[in-house]
Amino acid sequence: MTLTRLLERLLQLIPVLLGVSVIVFVMMALTPGDPIQIMIGDQIVTAEQEAQMRRDIGLDRPMVERFFVFLGNAIQFDFGQSFYHRRPVADVILERLPATIELTIVAMLIALVTAIPLGVLAAVRKNSIFDRIATVGGLLGVSLPGFWFGILLLMLFAVHLNILPVAGRINYGISQGITPYTHFLLIDTLLNGRLDAFRNALAHIILPAVTLGLPMTAILMRVTRTAMLEVLRTDYVTFAQAKGLSRQRILWRHALKNALIPTVSVAAIETGSLLGGNMIIETVFGWPGLGRLVVESIFVRNYPLVQAAVLLYAVIYVMLNFFADILYTILNPRVKL
Amino acid sequence: MKAIHRTLVASAIAFGMAPSVQAQELIVGFTRDADTLDPANHRNRETETIIRNIYDGVLTRSSDMQIHPEVAESFTQVSATVYDFTIRPGITFHDGSALTVEDVKFTLDRVVLEGGMGGGQSSPRASLMGPVESIEILDESTLRITLSEPWPLLPAMLPHQQIVSQAHVEAIGADGMATQAMGAGPFRLAEWRRGDSVILERFDAYYGGATGIPEAGPACVERVIFQVIPESASRVAALLSGDVHLINELPPHSMNQVNNSPNAQVMTVNGTRSFFLALNNEGEIFNDVRVRQAVAHAIDRDLIIDRILSGTATPIDGILSPDAFGKNHDLPAYDYNPERARALLAEAGYPDGITVTLDTEGALRDTAEAIASLLTNAGITTRVQVGESTLLTQKWRTQGGPKEGDIYLTSWGNSTLDPFDIFVPTHRTNDRGNAAGYSNPELDALLDEAAVELDRARRGEMYQQAEAMVNADLPYVYLWVPQDIYGVSTRLSNWSPSPDSRINLHRACLD
Amino acid sequence: MSILEPTAPVEAESLFRRNMAAFMENRLAFGSAIVVVLFVLMAVFAPWIAPNDPYATNLFFRLQPPVWMEGGDWAYPLGADSLGRCILSRIIYGARISIFIGAAVIIVATSIGILAGLAAGYLRGWVDVVISRLVDILLGFPYLIFAIGLMAMMGPGLGNIILALAYKEWVIPCRVVRGETLATRELEYVEAARALGASGRHIMLREILPNILSPVIVVATIRMAHVIILEASLSFLGLGVQPPTASWGAMVADGRAFILVSWWVSTFPGLAILLLVLAINVASQGLRDAFDPRFTE
Repeated sequence: MTLTRLLERLLQLIPVLLGVSVIVFVMMALTPGDPIQIMIGDQIVTAEQEAQMRRDIGLDRPMVERFFVFLGNAIQFDFGQSFYHRRPVADVILERLPATIELTIVAMLIALVTAIPLGVLAAVRKNSIFDRIATVGGLLGVSLPGFWFGILLLMLFAVHLNILPVAGRINYGISQGITPYTHFLLIDTLLNGRLDAFRNALAHIILPAVTLGLPMTAILMRVTRTAMLEVLRTDYVTFAQAKGLSRQRILWRHALKNALIPTVSVAAIETGSLLGGNMIIETVFGWPGLGRLVVESIFVRNYPLVQAAVLLYAVIYVMLNFFADILYTILNPRVKL
Repeated sequence: MKAIHRTLVASAIAFGMAPSVQAQELIVGFTRDADTLDPANHRNRETETIIRNIYDGVLTRSSDMQIHPEVAESFTQVSATVYDFTIRPGITFHDGSALTVEDVKFTLDRVVLEGGMGGGQSSPRASLMGPVESIEILDESTLRITLSEPWPLLPAMLPHQQIVSQAHVEAIGADGMATQAMGAGPFRLAEWRRGDSVILERFDAYYGGATGIPEAGPACVERVIFQVIPESASRVAALLSGDVHLINELPPHSMNQVNNSPNAQVMTVNGTRSFFLALNNEGEIFNDVRVRQAVAHAIDRDLIIDRILSGTATPIDGILSPDAFGKNHDLPAYDYNPERARALLAEAGYPDGITVTLDTEGALRDTAEAIASLLTNAGITTRVQVGESTLLTQKWRTQGGPKEGDIYLTSWGNSTLDPFDIFVPTHRTNDRGNAAGYSNPELDALLDEAAVELDRARRGEMYQQAEAMVNADLPYVYLWVPQDIYGVSTRLSNWSPSPDSRINLHRACLD
Repeated sequence: MSILEPTAPVEAESLFRRNMAAFMENRLAFGSAIVVVLFVLMAVFAPWIAPNDPYATNLFFRLQPPVWMEGGDWAYPLGADSLGRCILSRIIYGARISIFIGAAVIIVATSIGILAGLAAGYLRGWVDVVISRLVDILLGFPYLIFAIGLMAMMGPGLGNIILALAYKEWVIPCRVVRGETLATRELEYVEAARALGASGRHIMLREILPNILSPVIVVATIRMAHVIILEASLSFLGLGVQPPTASWGAMVADGRAFILVSWWVSTFPGLAILLLVLAINVASQGLRDAFDPRFTE
């Protein structure tokens, strides 16, 4: 990968982010509804007080002016104040980001750990009963609404068996004295050498992560299977066989290494869609992530927060794609970008 | 089976889920997170519920909705527009500093003054203080609030303001106040995990709270956690599994299940929110009172309350809750009588019935569909249309602007149980909540008069008269006041729900 | 990174026939296709199959259990929902809404995607730049958040749900078509057509399109399954179809509040989604295996 190519990719970010900003701003501007009325609800207010509230959050300005103010500030990483939290939007979003990222990564890891062996076995025993069962079983995951499955899991593990908690990231009592180095609880608890807290955090994350990761399992398994089939037919596997290397060794050392390239790339790209698609799981499991916050913000017309969050999602999406490309080049030197 | 269960319990312990011995940790499964912890910078009921456990007010309410002096020792109404408050000595904030009359003045100024929040911003809670003209310190323990016009609601509304420390605010600024709570309430903030939980710890030097409410003293439990669980099924699951000890907004259909479980029970309290159908009085169909009466006769309120709300609501025949001040308890009811409804329609010139649309928000969809089916049976063919509440607000609460639509199933809250903040907005000509587009100059005059009437008995009579007027005119079809339903662990004692939906945990104990 | 490589420039029709034959041999996939067809038939003939009026409410039967449970009754074989409506009948009618939404979104999105992808891939130049940038921008939006925003903007309704999902969905077929077109446009037979003076429109629609249709069909079926799930997600957030009609997603979403006391209200529509979407997924996987030349051994 050359430096020019790298720069080129980074430059491509600019039109995408600009386009995303314009679209999200126009969408919010065209969306009917009034944040001030939502805030006041059915409490007492006078007309002057209402106008004052409108001035205080800058909604009395014309739309075009608001857009350019937003754009000008956004370049300086100032996304304005959240109407409801009355704090900088950037702070509000960043506080919720670690929980979302942690959930997404754990979900992706669960998906990878189950998908890769299943995909390899399905490829090796192509068209066998195992292949069929694995295929259909994997597809089960993409075939049910996550919130429904999540609630079923909650009923089973939290209510009937009562072995896993319903909501939150960790019990407060057990989490005391843990220094938040990374704000990822699974890592922080380990860095602090607190196995009890680690287990507690794990118990909290496992149900939402399984629910979120399940659809991904199916996709990744399919990619692994396809890639594996392809690799297994290439010359060098045949050559290795001819050289008399053991089948297991060929499979797990040589073939898998090559077959993993597309799987990992797809996983990197799909991490972006998991990240932006976990608001429902976050609601069901009371997970304090960003997705839930953004959806709530759309409903209460918290424009600055929605704008900033969507921009953040777009940046993450582009970066993940970029990352997937690099990964692809590193793992597979034959590909030139 | 037993073996399996043992294995599971073993793995539960391995997961760190073993029942902990921290008996004094009270966890509340709560519908949403606080927006901010600054008492003066929000407009949200749930936020106030949480904040209220950290900060105390000049006055407070007990769970039977009586007003009690809290940070104030006593208060007197000097004249129609002047109130004097004596601030209790010896109260300290969580940082150990003394709460003074200056702090109280500072708190209230911050709310009422334009630009009072600093940085050119005003408090969104200003309107909850009414027509305040000035706040003065008379001596080191007395504060005087002067109104620009009489407003009998002031004592009932003051519990909505919580006292902050002037030194603290000046030290950390408005931005800091959003996250660093420091009050004089029964609990101090331990940590706020945004979107997840607000963790409070007992403030041992607490002065004890309102003397008028029994068992004044420091809080009973050592720690309180408001754990955010937005999904109602998940909240109930958390209660049943013992993860939390108290949940709000328990769905009515889960009441039996909770009551039948060994470790939890249901507690209800009459709410303060009146539900009604706004009929578009400006529209062609509903400007005829006979058509409006037909709607009232077509709805079997008892059936809906019994089947959908599991009996947890009280029917109303006027806008006020049965518990409200000035309630007229002798209003005639429009009984369920579909035949009468058809006859009234025919009389009004619609022998073949009418076709209308019923607007409502998603949360009320079941009720709306049940109402629609009852109306359809009585010749009022009704289609339900679900929309976002903010869009319905724009469509219906036009404050005199032109209005489209036929029927709107909605509600209005009345946390003070004083008629002023529900009757005026919903019934006065062109007022904020007048979704029906109702205009009756005679009623307007009566409401204006009652708003400033200082003779309590006379004021009550005025509202009774007003309710009789709207019961006859029927701009709205008044439906019911639902109860607020809570699920509580059997381990929880000395807590009872309050009609204003606050969860004050100062006196609650866990065994 | 297209997993689907361009098909060989064989006579499109015979290729299609050969692929179909391969598909039929895959019994699992073929069986799934039959399940899908059965669901479609159920939707079409709903009024003749449903035992009850799906919209008739009767509060006295609120949350009545299915027939095999205590308190159940043959009148409502799968029980009744929170307004006492027959769940079985609502599932049968709900198939119409769910399948219609899935199919409509995919048809709209695929049509747009094909046209945009052909234009971008064949014409290149500024057309390609504009379309590709638009695709990049839309891909930057999280799917569900984009749809939620659109629903808030446009308001509720069946038509708006379809639009809200299709506005982003077209990007996926567009990328596939563009990639395939780029690869195909340089092939000999396309060159030949061009040399013979065929118009750009003719080449795009008559020469290129038939040869790249297979991957498009495969992608469309997979995405249709996905759209049905997405619609359920919108319903979860209160942005689903208007009452009293109900998609399966809306039934699951509305019934979830009752799951601890009356599991059947959301479980049966949930199973219906599972069965249909699984069948579509398995069938489309079979299609992919059959139509993707790399696996026709």
